[in-house]
Amino acid sequence: MAEIKEYDSDVEIKWCPGCGNFGILAAMKDALAALGISPEKILIISGIGQAAKTPHYLKCNLFHALHGRALPLATGAKIANHELTIMVNSGDGDCYGEGGNHFMHAIRRNIDITVLVHNNKVYGLTKGQASPTSDEGMTTKMQSDGVISETFNPLSVALALGAGFVARSFSGRAEHLSKIIREGIKHKGFSLIDILQPCVSFNNVNTFDWYRKRMYDLFEEGYIPDDFNKAMELSGMWGDKIPIGIMYRKEKPSYTDKIKRLKENTLISGKYLPEKVQSVIESL
Amino acid sequence: MSIDISVMIGGEAGQGIQTVGELLARVCRKSGLYLMAINDFESRIRGGHSFFQVRISDRPVDAPHHDINLLLSLDKNSYELHRKDLLDEGIAVMEKRNSISGKNILAIPFLELAEKSGGKITSNTVAAGACLALLGAPFEIFREIVSETFAAKGETVIGKNLEAALAGYEAVKTFSYKFAFEWKPDKPRGILSDGSRAIALGALAGDCRFAAFYPMSPATGIMAHLASVANEFPLVVEQAEDEISAVNMIIGASFAGVRAMTATSGGGFCLMTEGLGLAGITETPVVIVNAQRPGPATGLATRTAQADLLFAINASQDEFPRFVFAPGSPAEAFETTVRAFHLAEKHQVPAIILTDQFLNDSLFIVERPFAVPENIERFIACDNDMKNPSEYKRYAFTSSGISPRALPCAGKALVMVSGNEHKEDGHSTESAETRTRMVNKRKAKLYGMLSEMNPPGTYFPESEILLAGWGSTRGSVREAVDILRKDGILAGCINFSDLWPFPADAVKKILKACEKFYVVELNSTAQLGRLIKEQTALSYSGTVLKYDGRPFYPFEIADGIKKQVR
Repeated sequence: MAEIKEYDSDVEIKWCPGCGNFGILAAMKDALAALGISPEKILIISGIGQAAKTPHYLKCNLFHALHGRALPLATGAKIANHELTIMVNSGDGDCYGEGGNHFMHAIRRNIDITVLVHNNKVYGLTKGQASPTSDEGMTTKMQSDGVISETFNPLSVALALGAGFVARSFSGRAEHLSKIIREGIKHKGFSLIDILQPCVSFNNVNTFDWYRKRMYDLFEEGYIPDDFNKAMELSGMWGDKIPIGIMYRKEKPSYTDKIKRLKENTLISGKYLPEKVQSVIESL
Repeated sequence: MSIDISVMIGGEAGQGIQTVGELLARVCRKSGLYLMAINDFESRIRGGHSFFQVRISDRPVDAPHHDINLLLSLDKNSYELHRKDLLDEGIAVMEKRNSISGKNILAIPFLELAEKSGGKITSNTVAAGACLALLGAPFEIFREIVSETFAAKGETVIGKNLEAALAGYEAVKTFSYKFAFEWKPDKPRGILSDGSRAIALGALAGDCRFAAFYPMSPATGIMAHLASVANEFPLVVEQAEDEISAVNMIIGASFAGVRAMTATSGGGFCLMTEGLGLAGITETPVVIVNAQRPGPATGLATRTAQADLLFAINASQDEFPRFVFAPGSPAEAFETTVRAFHLAEKHQVPAIILTDQFLNDSLFIVERPFAVPENIERFIACDNDMKNPSEYKRYAFTSSGISPRALPCAGKALVMVSGNEHKEDGHSTESAETRTRMVNKRKAKLYGMLSEMNPPGTYFPESEILLAGWGSTRGSVREAVDILRKDGILAGCINFSDLWPFPADAVKKILKACEKFYVVELNSTAQLGRLIKEQTALSYSGTVLKYDGRPFYPFEIADGIKKQVR
């Protein structure tokens, strides 16, 4: 157990007052402190968007990368040194839009990282366009007749792809979120945490009140997340009742577990083998 | 050159052209001969027309030869397509069942001979045997190569192929062939390697630990060679979902502390340019191979070109330093790859290696041994190297532009890296002053980088006329110089391997001494010529350009020059 203030950063925070991201930031610090992962032992990778600014706002090692590309970057870092604890801060546009292809394949690889998707169902940084998770019919300046496309359901997609840790939380429930982040980090394999988050500037539909009226907590219900079909059903629930909690959890070997030569050593701690290179050359 | 024989094996994709060609090549190597072979094929797995052309000599050869001494035609079409290049006293060998009547045709019942000896499947071994017998190759060496080639398949398969080999030899023993020569078995002159293998070996020797790629001709061979030995090394080769992912994966791996690379062709490199910029602004070392092919878009998927030079130098938005190399042979490809890993890490920049289908897929005898470094110098800062690790700044301003590079989670130092413009500590900034200083810091590295660049290679540099080429045309340009000199034109050449930062002073010195220089390139706008002009204010007098997707034959270059100087 570490002190939460150890993670405090003096970087000026550039989010709107009242932004859901503040709750997520608080929950991250709380979870890291509870797990005793000190700032120098955590690596946080992010793409682009309001969510992707997060790692600057707490003390950690960080790589603030390109829009949509946090997952391949995190994949490379994890393969290079699978002893690293890696978290990703992403958003609904970053992870499910620009980085949609990487999202699918990072899940397939079961790379052992914890992905926090700040899902406010709208583009914040570019000022209010629809995102893949915007509700059908939602109007924006760019989608003035309402969103035509179906809403992307990240949890159902992740389950269908075989993700071993699929959870949803809410930025307004820091304690709930902290608990899920802790479980996500402990989970060996790809952990998806989709975090519902109001956007006070650009999303007038999915507000704090809107969510509070609909959400119910799977932990309180005593739900055990070991049934794939039940998880699929929960992931599809939206509207009057919105479940939050861990929907599905199943451990299986992660990408780096499956590579035999990484059992003894990480790639980074391996030895350079000039004699062996020479013998490969001589075998020609 | 007393021996200079060109053998072409032509047929449909899937008929085993390469298998026959490689048997011939390995027999020549084992006999102490020199050779080089090009692989010409279409973007298909079966059918169409492909050929493998091997040039055999008792002197080093680094370029293909256009005249054909011996044509092994595995289908009718190959004879029709290539008879124009068949020498008057050359012969075309073909399967008796499909044979047509025509000049210089030697019809042999390969299939029937195979059925009687090793079985139908061995008909290519019969054909290889017939070709070698015609050339006068000792059977004993062919026997050894057949045994080595089929070793993994067991004694029965070896036995059947040896019977087939002998049947091929017997079939032509009474035929007298003008170009048969005396074989004087000697030690091999070097290893047999294509450019792809040389780059893969260079990556191993450069301590590459992670390679990510998306399959694309003609780059895939590099990754295939790496994957085939990955189990023996601390090395992971990952097939990414696309090139965007591949380049970001290697940036992540390099950031975490291992040397990393990717290989692609022009189209994939287009997708990687965003990541290239990320490597640039975050000062993360990576090695990217662009094995060029004709474009734009899909272009000619299995053919060769040199049209990405200016693109590679300028790829991605805005400005940042990078290395661009274009090796001219497998030996240079190996050495350049080792250097690229070293230099990228030393200067914390991306390094791009430009090769092409010709270099990647052609076989050469490599005389200069591939020298594997004994140690790898890393340029990594640890807590112990710092006065106060908790004050560590990834982008600390320095006079060289190179800041001490620590690794994430390796000590007390927090490593903060950002693709947004950043302050010394890695946090984002909007400050005009910091932005300017950061651009200058990155740019300052160019001075140190320039001092690492080798001047271009030269051949008769004090000649009145110089031919300037880059990358894989090195062998063809040099042989064109030989042709020109034999014809009384005092020409020399300058071959670039290190292209960016451009070694302008060395180039100026060489080019100012000649009367005229001509650029020789596989593109349509003389990209090297334009680069030389921009960097040295010296103008080329003419060009020899080819952009049909095929490599240069030396005579084409010599003819192109003759037209302009006479």
